[in-house]
Amino acid sequence: MIDFSRIQKELQDCERNQDSSGIRVCPKSDNLTRLTGTIPGPIGTPYEGGTFQIDITMPDGYPFEPPKMQFSTKVWHPNISSQSGAICLDILKDQWSPALTLKTALVSIQALLSAPEPKDPQDAVVAEQYMKNYQVFVSTARYWTETFAKKSSLEEKVKRLVEMGFGDAQVRSAIESSGGDENLALEKLCSA
Amino acid sequence: MDDNLSGEEEDYYYSSDQESLNGIDNDESVSIPVSSRSNTVKVITKESLLAAQREDLRRVMELLSVKEHHARTLLIHYRWDVEKLFAVLVEKGKDSLFSGAGVTLLENQSCDSSVSGSSSMMSCDICVEDVPGYQLTRMDCGHSFCNNCWTGHFTVKINEGQSKRIICMAHKCNAICDEDVVRALVSKSQPDLAEKFDRFLLESYIEDNKMVKWCPSTPHCGNAIRVEDDELCEVECSCGLQFCFSCSSQAHSPCSCVMWELWRKKCFDESETVNWITVHTKPCPKCHKPVEKNGGCNLVTCLCRQSFCWLCGEATGRDHTWARISGHSCGRFQEDKEKQMERAKRDLKRYMHYHNRYKAHIDSSKLEAKLSNNISKKVSISEKRELQLKDFSWATNGLHRLFRSRRVLSYSYPFAFYMFGDELFKDEMSSEEREIKQNLFEDQQQQLEANVEKLSKFLEEPFDQFADDKVMQIRIQVINLSVAVDTLCENMYECIENDLLGSLQLGIHNITPYRSNGIERASDFYSSQNSKEAVGQSSDCGWTSRLDQALESGKSEDTSCSSGKRARIDESYRNSQTTLLDLNLPAEAIERK
Repeated sequence: MIDFSRIQKELQDCERNQDSSGIRVCPKSDNLTRLTGTIPGPIGTPYEGGTFQIDITMPDGYPFEPPKMQFSTKVWHPNISSQSGAICLDILKDQWSPALTLKTALVSIQALLSAPEPKDPQDAVVAEQYMKNYQVFVSTARYWTETFAKKSSLEEKVKRLVEMGFGDAQVRSAIESSGGDENLALEKLCSA
Repeated sequence: MDDNLSGEEEDYYYSSDQESLNGIDNDESVSIPVSSRSNTVKVITKESLLAAQREDLRRVMELLSVKEHHARTLLIHYRWDVEKLFAVLVEKGKDSLFSGAGVTLLENQSCDSSVSGSSSMMSCDICVEDVPGYQLTRMDCGHSFCNNCWTGHFTVKINEGQSKRIICMAHKCNAICDEDVVRALVSKSQPDLAEKFDRFLLESYIEDNKMVKWCPSTPHCGNAIRVEDDELCEVECSCGLQFCFSCSSQAHSPCSCVMWELWRKKCFDESETVNWITVHTKPCPKCHKPVEKNGGCNLVTCLCRQSFCWLCGEATGRDHTWARISGHSCGRFQEDKEKQMERAKRDLKRYMHYHNRYKAHIDSSKLEAKLSNNISKKVSISEKRELQLKDFSWATNGLHRLFRSRRVLSYSYPFAFYMFGDELFKDEMSSEEREIKQNLFEDQQQQLEANVEKLSKFLEEPFDQFADDKVMQIRIQVINLSVAVDTLCENMYECIENDLLGSLQLGIHNITPYRSNGIERASDFYSSQNSKEAVGQSSDCGWTSRLDQALESGKSEDTSCSSGKRARIDESYRNSQTTLLDLNLPAEAIERK
């Protein structure tokens, strides 16, 4: 029931119009039901410089039902759960319209990063901090961006993990097998 | 009381005169005053659901000169409140009324919704395919997409339960899709779903309308009830279920809905607990908490370290053997066994006090069927006897009066529990004020209770074996008591409304007004429609349905016939008897005091 041809077209459209927004969508698997969206943190916000990955799951009714999106990169934001990455955004729920696309949804999420709505929070702790102690919020959000959303070179990642006490070769294979994800690599190392 | 009696007598004469004017034998023309309040409650069945909303739809269609689907969209948005809709129209104008509800009218557009029937290829923004023009559909709002996409959209929305508000697919377009288009497109591929869609639209009249409610019967009878002007009332569905229209639970006046909800929960939660506690525990003589004996001898020690004798509940020392507790003997019978268990038990006792009385009256009303069987037996025996008195409708009427007032009595106990307890109105009344009010109320309650019991006693007399004069005596007693009980009930409702609830700050407690004839039975929607046309019969129709209800257990008595018969018989008695009250008179006649 999923309209794969439309998803295919959306992906092609994204490829063709690689614009300054830097927003990208790529399939996670072959069957196009799971995708990964990437948005750069908006300039002039605590998220600046970070690259945020969003897990996208296509429902059966797409495009008549909204795509399911959640952050896989940890982010400190009143409308995004700091635990699960769930996003509180109206167009992903009842305001979804079939005329919207994955790209427009990601643009909306990017806009949400620059303009939080703490009155309609997903994460109450973050929202409270945002309202009551804005400076602390900004530094926390910036710290999270630095820690979780900054792409660092392979050598930096290796260096950091080696500093934690793992062997060099071990670290390199862990990073490779987890697709360059430092956190995932760390988990693997720890559970190994 | 004398004043009342003479008042009723007048009415009685008046009624008879009317009847004699109209001709006694013509039962159809017996004119009975029916107040405008009666017969406003209607049963809406699955079949009459469409007809029931026609009237509202027609009014909106005529006033705004719009098509039916637009009228429905508007009415759904304004929750079927035609007056509200008109008020918005007057206040804010047509445009705002329409846009608020998501209705777009394109006056200069042809009614053909497919895009100009052209076969040239056009692109659909949803599936991003090129399709021939005739496969595109344009909504009233001007957005067009291909039929496949529309169908997909409608399917998802209907399955999500949003049939009543399917908006256009375009982003931020708030327009409601034309129901005809939805129906036509969906039924092509999924006729079942189209049916579901229609059902949802039709049932909006019940779901979104504060004047219409589903009958709460389980299993569901399929009916809904519509009231006319006051949502605060008790109604009887044609399936026989009586319920409070405003909270959809069983009829509970003179308890307010809030009180009833609390009471129901309390009984449900606590009755079992209370039973268990009374059976298995004894209160500690020191801390008054209920103590359960979980083994051992009869010297029980509470958690507060107080020891007491399990047999009598009295405080003792700790020195004991299996056989006896030193310095203690309770083998002797003691007059006052329930000594001081107060405080902790006081609340429980208070609840039990009200609950027992409530339960007692509810239980007696459960025996109604048996009692009415009994009465009808006695009546049919009596009717066969060679008596001066031929009409025994006083017995059945008295019986129904008994049932109704027993209900009132039983629900007056939970009312009193909350009215004079701490739970709801602690800060609203000073304790002196409360005491005065409680006395006032309890006086009335007790008077009512005494009269109800008397009425019950007279009805249980074996009058089918009595001689003429004794039957007459019972008849007068039953009739007098019935009237007295009716008046007392009415007074109690008035007292509650004016003196008790009326003086409170919080306006959330309202009670259903007292109806002498019991709970109003909803009339069938169709029959009342027909009777509107035949104006002459409309009052008869209303009255008959109410009488049916009075004789709810389906007694064989033919109402229209009995009124004629009654008139003749009462005619003959009028001369010989001095004070006669006739219960067959409609409540309104009695009320016109």
